[in-house]
Amino acid sequence: MERFPLKTSKMATTYQSVYKKGTGSSNGYSGQGGDDDMVSIKAGPHRAADSSSASTPTSHGTFQLYEHGTRYSDASAHWDAVMFSGMQGEGDDIPGIGQYDDFHTIDWQRDIARDRMRHRYIVKKRQDSIWDLIKGAHDAWSGWVCVLLVGVCTGVVAGVIDIGASWMTDLKFGICPQAFWFNREQCCWSNDEVTVDHDNCSQWLTWPQVFGESRDGAGAYIVSYLFYIVWALIFAALSASLVRMFAPYACGSGIPEIKTILSGFIIRGYLGKWTLIIKVVGLILSVSSGLSLGKEGPMVHIASCLGNILSYLFPKYGRNEAKKREILSAAAAAGVSVAFGAPIGGVLFSLEEVSYYFPLKTLWRSFFCALIAAFILRSINPFGNEHLVLFYVEYNKPWKFFELIPFIALGIIGGCIATIFIKANIYWCRYRKYSKLGQYPVTEVLVVTLITAIIAYPNPYTRMNTSQLIYLLFNQCGISNNDPLCDYPRNYTDVNSIEKAAAGDGVYTAMWLLTLALILKLVMTVFTFGIKVPCGLFIPSLALGAIPGRIVGIGVEQLAYRYPKSWLFSGECSAGDDCITPGLYAMVGAAAVLGGVTRMTVSLVVIMFELTGGVRYIVPLMAAAMASKWVGDALGRQGIYDAHIALNGYPFLDSKDEFQHTSLAADVMQPKRNETLSVITQDSMTVDDVETLLKETEHNGYPVVVSKESQYLVGFVLRRDLNLAIANARRTMDGICGQSIVIFAGPTQSLPPGPPPLPLTRILDLAPITVTDQTPMETVVDMFRKLGLRQTLVTHNGRLLGVITKKDVLRHVKQMDNEDPSSVLFN
Amino acid sequence: MLRLSSLLILTVFLGYVSASYEDKRCKCVCPSPATVLNNTVGSDRKLYIGNVPPNMCNCDGLILPRVGDLVKGREQEFCPRCECKYENRNTTIIKVVVIIVLWVIMLLVAYMGFLICLDPLINKRAKASYQEHTNEDDESTLGGPSQPISSRGNVLNRVTHQQDKWKRQVREQRRNIYDRHTMLN
Repeated sequence: MERFPLKTSKMATTYQSVYKKGTGSSNGYSGQGGDDDMVSIKAGPHRAADSSSASTPTSHGTFQLYEHGTRYSDASAHWDAVMFSGMQGEGDDIPGIGQYDDFHTIDWQRDIARDRMRHRYIVKKRQDSIWDLIKGAHDAWSGWVCVLLVGVCTGVVAGVIDIGASWMTDLKFGICPQAFWFNREQCCWSNDEVTVDHDNCSQWLTWPQVFGESRDGAGAYIVSYLFYIVWALIFAALSASLVRMFAPYACGSGIPEIKTILSGFIIRGYLGKWTLIIKVVGLILSVSSGLSLGKEGPMVHIASCLGNILSYLFPKYGRNEAKKREILSAAAAAGVSVAFGAPIGGVLFSLEEVSYYFPLKTLWRSFFCALIAAFILRSINPFGNEHLVLFYVEYNKPWKFFELIPFIALGIIGGCIATIFIKANIYWCRYRKYSKLGQYPVTEVLVVTLITAIIAYPNPYTRMNTSQLIYLLFNQCGISNNDPLCDYPRNYTDVNSIEKAAAGDGVYTAMWLLTLALILKLVMTVFTFGIKVPCGLFIPSLALGAIPGRIVGIGVEQLAYRYPKSWLFSGECSAGDDCITPGLYAMVGAAAVLGGVTRMTVSLVVIMFELTGGVRYIVPLMAAAMASKWVGDALGRQGIYDAHIALNGYPFLDSKDEFQHTSLAADVMQPKRNETLSVITQDSMTVDDVETLLKETEHNGYPVVVSKESQYLVGFVLRRDLNLAIANARRTMDGICGQSIVIFAGPTQSLPPGPPPLPLTRILDLAPITVTDQTPMETVVDMFRKLGLRQTLVTHNGRLLGVITKKDVLRHVKQMDNEDPSSVLFN
Repeated sequence: MLRLSSLLILTVFLGYVSASYEDKRCKCVCPSPATVLNNTVGSDRKLYIGNVPPNMCNCDGLILPRVGDLVKGREQEFCPRCECKYENRNTTIIKVVVIIVLWVIMLLVAYMGFLICLDPLINKRAKASYQEHTNEDDESTLGGPSQPISSRGNVLNRVTHQQDKWKRQVREQRRNIYDRHTMLN
């Protein structure tokens, strides 16, 4: 031991022992020989690390917590080494340790500590051989490789969805017999010399034409109408039944669940292979069916599925739930990146909206992942327009200062529409949850589809794909635009700029149709969001905002045309050319409603300006997003995702809310008065005692104390680990029977005679977080949020008093907010 | 769906593909020349599509060679009203993706049909072994691969084992979502 200069320092001892995994770890309770092992693995650089750690012990904060191990001075180094090795979770360990059951929350602290141990072990081993060096290098870059793969796969899948959905959407209208895989746009790709007023070209056959009728006329209209409805019903029925049959978790948008999962909840199968396949296929089908839904939200879920599946290639992430969430955050960013063609917006979305734990490392990885995904999708070029989204537009006109007034007004309108939508949708979803309606999921999908198709077809603005509608509304009226919305009698004499003009009859008709479309979309989206098919909400909300935006824009434009001399317009709009861009109003309105619905701000503005390709319109977008958020917050507390999390009772501890009550830890902790706390003693219970305790109680973890009388805390052990370890010991160790003493900690000298003891030191968490019973709940809630705790132990005068779990905290928060505390989904 | 896609695939294999589908095009939208020349207000627009290099994708490169005679001398008036866009696409990717999507949908529908119609019949026969299987699996979370049932081959057995496990998971999901309504409402 003289070669171990820092032996006297407790810190050095514990720290040094970290490195001794691999030699003395396979059997954690091997007894002697710990010191020899320790000497044998001491390498040069670690000595330096030792001395530095001795001088600045706080730099290894986590390990300082384990200092109390030195109570038993002889065995101290050995205990700690054993414990860390247990956390390492590599091959020779008990299978399943470190995993979690379905519907449990993860223990961030424990998982991160596990990863740090694994990392230190690899760093230490790196000196041993070339092979270990390669393994170390692989470990170091595996995070980047993983997000690279996620990005590539996300881009490819997004391309498949875009192409598939655009083809299938057009299948409702007709077919391209010469090459059936083309949609209408692609079918008419090289058709020459057609007047644009008829969208159809000779290669593209509408359904009436396929059956030998003419293109126009009442009969053709009816046939088209029927085909539209029938196709919509087929697509929706397929989507709903595939979801029901193969992967029920694929329904919905998935963002509330992803948020919950990223906050540290386990939903087994939610990010699995079948969910991925069915979500992709179902999304193509449900988008094509013409329902009022979008593919952007589910894209986040799809990307997260890919992240989860690919993380299993890298044990560093696949086996560690806390580390896996870093990959999932990056994947969520990639999902938005491909959905909107906005890589930076995607990263910010992940940061602002979905992620819970977002260190800088994850930020860079998310950025890289989003970039790769966008690049891949861009090279697939699904829309043939060199952009990642259908509704990419480019404006070049400056906006005028007075236009801020209508922009803010649009923000207010957007906030109101968003609130109406959220309230109505939550009401309907609650009704579905608690009434008989919920028993007919497929029928509901079919009825909603039927009604949507019947109402949507007669109005050209609802008949078209919602993305196309948004594109139309965002667009400026140029020469190539022949929609009634652009029916301005312009005589094109001055060709350099589009001049001001009075709106023609077409514009007014279009405005009426758009108003009807707005009402229809609003009503149908309320009923659509939450049916059991993959459905997102971004596109419908954008459309809900773009319609009033465009209407307001045309109104302002006509005002400027009629009263060019008015004080408002005289200064800046007098030049004679068209100074108002109605498309910009549509975009601002879209941003306002989307902001009101999701309560995004920063990421929303960035996404929108990446869509327009110009930073010039940031101020209007910011003004509208802020106004909309204020109005939304004033009228209703939660965004749609938080409202759905609350409706489903997911155990999500929102870091935005503040806890403002005066309760203390003692009020919340379990057990309540007159109940006893189930504890395990460190070295006096037999295997039978422990198993009886496991049978009789249902707690997910048990505190370990020195003895029942003293109740001094030793550590904390999880139910799952205890079960696994006992079963493992019964299988692998000789002589373990019901009378074996279970040893968690304590002096090892005086073993009673009898069957061999069962050492469970390696599953014991020696550093549980504790609070005293007088700690205000505000602090406790903060600890749960910021440290990602799963439970904390409550002590009084140093003695164990009770336990507060995340479930208790969530229930308490609900109770304090006068909501039903039993609605929290939790095991 | 099935009927349509089989019909479509048939048409493909019969070699119906005759039209030339290029991957690049230059697309220009112009008013019809008459509108400009007579100075009338008309909404008639013409589409000109040609295969020219990207730097030639403008009025001079694509349109004037075609309508040069009509607008001779008044190009300065006509040309600025045309909007030209150079576009490219990849027909192979589109074709492959659409066919893959169709195949996947058909496979899933076929498998769904199998699970609904035939699987109950098969399972009724193998009820006993199936029962044994599930019970064993519940405990096998603690370790140890399951014991192969001697009557079937090992690979087949493993596949059925996986399938049963998956079916149980889906049943659980269905119970959560459709019966108890605890999630994804």
